[in-house]
Amino acid sequence: MPKLTINDREIEARDGAMIIQAAAEAGIEIPHYCYHQDLPVDGNCRMCLVEVEKMPKLTPACATSVSEGMVVNTHNERVKEAVRGVLEFLLVNHPVDCPVCDQAGECRLQDYYMVYGLHTSEIPLEMKVRKRKVIDLGPMVVLDTERCVLCSRCIRFCDHVTGTGELQFFGRGDHVEIGTFEDRPILNPYSGNVVDICPVGALTSRDFRFKCRVWFLHSTDSVCAGCSTGCNARIDHRDGAIFRMIPRRNPDVNKSWLCDEGRLSIHEIGRGERVRRALIKGRDGMQAPASLGEALDAANTGLREAARKYGGAAILGVGSASATNEALFLLARYVKGQLGGDQLEFRLDSEDRKALEPEDKILRRFDKHPNSMGALALGFAGDEIGGIEGAISKAREGKIKAAVILYYKPLVTRETDALAEARIAELVSLLEFSVLFAAHKADWQTDAGVLLPVAAWTEEEGTYTNYQSRVQAALQAINPPGDAQPAWSLLAALLEASGDTSVWSSSTDVLSDMKQAVSAFAGIDLDSVYSQGALISTNGAL
Amino acid sequence: MTKVLLSNIDRPEQVKLETYRASGGYRGLEKALKLDQAAVIEEVKASGLRGRGGAGFPTGMKWGFVPRNSPKPTYLLCNADESEPGTFKDRLLMERDPHLLIEGMAIACYALNCHLSYIYLRGEYEFIAHILQKALDEAYEAKILGPSLMGRDFALDIFLHLGEGAYICGEETALIESLEGYRGYPRLKPPFPAVSGFLASPTVVNNVETLCAVPWIIQNGAAAYASMGTEKSKGTKLFSVSGHVNKPGVYEVEMGYPLLDFIKNESGGIPNGRKLKAVIPGGSSVPVLTAQECESVVLDYESLAKAGSMLGSGGVIVFDETTKMPEVLSVIADFYAHESCGQCTPCREGTGWAAKILRNIVAGKGKRSDLELLLKIANMMEGKTICPLADADVMPIRSFVNKFRNEFEDFCNGH
Repeated sequence: MPKLTINDREIEARDGAMIIQAAAEAGIEIPHYCYHQDLPVDGNCRMCLVEVEKMPKLTPACATSVSEGMVVNTHNERVKEAVRGVLEFLLVNHPVDCPVCDQAGECRLQDYYMVYGLHTSEIPLEMKVRKRKVIDLGPMVVLDTERCVLCSRCIRFCDHVTGTGELQFFGRGDHVEIGTFEDRPILNPYSGNVVDICPVGALTSRDFRFKCRVWFLHSTDSVCAGCSTGCNARIDHRDGAIFRMIPRRNPDVNKSWLCDEGRLSIHEIGRGERVRRALIKGRDGMQAPASLGEALDAANTGLREAARKYGGAAILGVGSASATNEALFLLARYVKGQLGGDQLEFRLDSEDRKALEPEDKILRRFDKHPNSMGALALGFAGDEIGGIEGAISKAREGKIKAAVILYYKPLVTRETDALAEARIAELVSLLEFSVLFAAHKADWQTDAGVLLPVAAWTEEEGTYTNYQSRVQAALQAINPPGDAQPAWSLLAALLEASGDTSVWSSSTDVLSDMKQAVSAFAGIDLDSVYSQGALISTNGAL
Repeated sequence: MTKVLLSNIDRPEQVKLETYRASGGYRGLEKALKLDQAAVIEEVKASGLRGRGGAGFPTGMKWGFVPRNSPKPTYLLCNADESEPGTFKDRLLMERDPHLLIEGMAIACYALNCHLSYIYLRGEYEFIAHILQKALDEAYEAKILGPSLMGRDFALDIFLHLGEGAYICGEETALIESLEGYRGYPRLKPPFPAVSGFLASPTVVNNVETLCAVPWIIQNGAAAYASMGTEKSKGTKLFSVSGHVNKPGVYEVEMGYPLLDFIKNESGGIPNGRKLKAVIPGGSSVPVLTAQECESVVLDYESLAKAGSMLGSGGVIVFDETTKMPEVLSVIADFYAHESCGQCTPCREGTGWAAKILRNIVAGKGKRSDLELLLKIANMMEGKTICPLADADVMPIRSFVNKFRNEFEDFCNGH
């Protein structure tokens, strides 16, 4: 652990750390374009030049490792002058088209110009090098080479993270451009990341560009619900509409990356009709709209009656690998504690097995649900049932008569989804009475005794347990539509109405209770859940 | 005067192995192979030979940096990417005496325990590639190269690699990148090539002229070489002379030769009785010297450094009184703008910007404030980049503008 001095402050750094990392860990920001903590060092932008005692020239902080007794200055006049110079060079041939550039507001050129530059341009327009603009690079990316600062982050991403190598430099000197061979599209499943890591407006998102100025957006920390990896993400939204999802760095889960499918999964919530109001099936067999209170009453009454008539063993709780830990915990508590049921299941499509199976070497997993591991830890893989097929045969045999079911449409879709949904539909059709929690409408839902409108991902706060058994929190970004509420909240109301004396006013309350009640969750630290995630103990549950 | 490098340069058919051997060729290698590897390095160290590519780093010391007993192989790369404007000495050596280079490389490889070596030849020197390849083929056929170096238990392969014509690939780490098949981008240092160079292995990159001096040093002894030249600049050096002289060409002289005498005696003086105006003594990237500054200068590393310039590659460019210095600088600036690899921001943008300003000035469209801007750009570029290409642009810009300011101002005033 070498000790060094940065700007007269003595700090301790990790062995082998570069100055820029040591400084960042001590809260000292050194301006940079090409350096990125999850990519190999390149040292080309020259923005991070710092003064190191006994070194005659300024040295790049991203490529100079710390050593004992090193004395670094990152902000004296000599350094500032150099940074100003680099910035001025970067703007020499830049089109300065911020008014029509989608990066405006989150552009490093703009930001550093305000801090270091503030000079007037000394180069007339006709002397600028003109480069190619609006180049279509596939489904995710649009390239403007005039705005590019040639930091090579995108190139290094495609070379070292995906290993697909689509992007490269072309030309020499001030005519260098980035691009793909013959402008071929970037088709790797992680291509959207090059937009995130582009410090300027050279690579913009085909999906998000021109939709909204970034300073109008509100940001909410979330976790991608597109698969069991649970990549940490940030949801940008405005007036109840989600505009984009970008990665949030978590070195233990997704580093700084998101896959394209996950990134685009935000659009899946708005696809199809939402369940906005509760429905109760009347004596005539037709569903009619009802208030939430009426629907919860009807649900409670119907389930209790079924339990009384057929015994608890005939009541099934069907969780969902897309539901939060909190919803699953309360569902189990309701079914077991209030209905005397002892049967829980959640597997529509071998989620328990797929959750751990990587789809590629980077992030994606075959299980397209965020919380299969949570459902397993909370005891939803009933050995007696053996998955949805088992539940269906038991319902056919008349051993299961009623069920409480959570069902969410997957956000990253696969061909097998229709089959999984058909199985749920079949189960509902076989039951005498069912309470279905759903966010999206579907024809088969007319078979449900009570249909409850629930919040979808991004519309509620809650935690998911990823493939590593890491519990991570996703915060609420927007409001659910109509009467919809988070599933845990509806279940809490059912529990209260049935006489459970606990009071939960937030998902965190539920999580705290879960920590008390479920041994696997006993050791988790709540603060960690809301930052880097907390690992649950997996013995027994798996 | 003793010739180390050019003694056989005019001998007919010297390119042939037979002729080369008849003139004493490969005896240096024979002698070296009887010595310890370490002793060969010591001999080169003692000779005081310094790198002739431009930097002037002591060759023996460079060889000494290569770690012994590395688990990885050691590579010797011959830098034949001669492209500094005003420099054409390596070309002459390879064109006329290719076996001299092969012998020098073989000795170096033996000393460095290197079994695989490459000649990285400038792309535009394709015609030399044929000559070199023929010489290499002859050396293989004569069993000088191959599985046993001159019959010794030491395998040595030398391959010829033709570059694609980028000046930057003369920078040793860009050369390595290029040889590895990548874009010719200079690498961040450290690590230095001696530790991790070609294929992440210990690597020595030597200039053609440097390697060509090695056979003579081994054959005649370090002391004989060190007895020539000055205290710190030993031996002889090739100078490529171009510009306003009666006999442009390549000349070998002992270090310490007075510059003006050199121009007058060796290269036949300035034509038509015109007066000397300025000299670029070491290739276009070194500061220009005014005629007055040339008076006290002798051709060695120290004297030129003292005069504020550099010996560089020994590319002497002579300008007479009719020369328009802004035009010269504009051509030089265009060269560096064209050859900047584009990796580092200051060089990529600065070289291009400076070149455009100079083109404007030469076209009579410049402003006096442009001169300050040029000097500012020079300051903004200097010492801020991975390799010295930006500095190679800074040095002529600063020296031309400062030393011939009146001429530039005249241009800015519409001639």
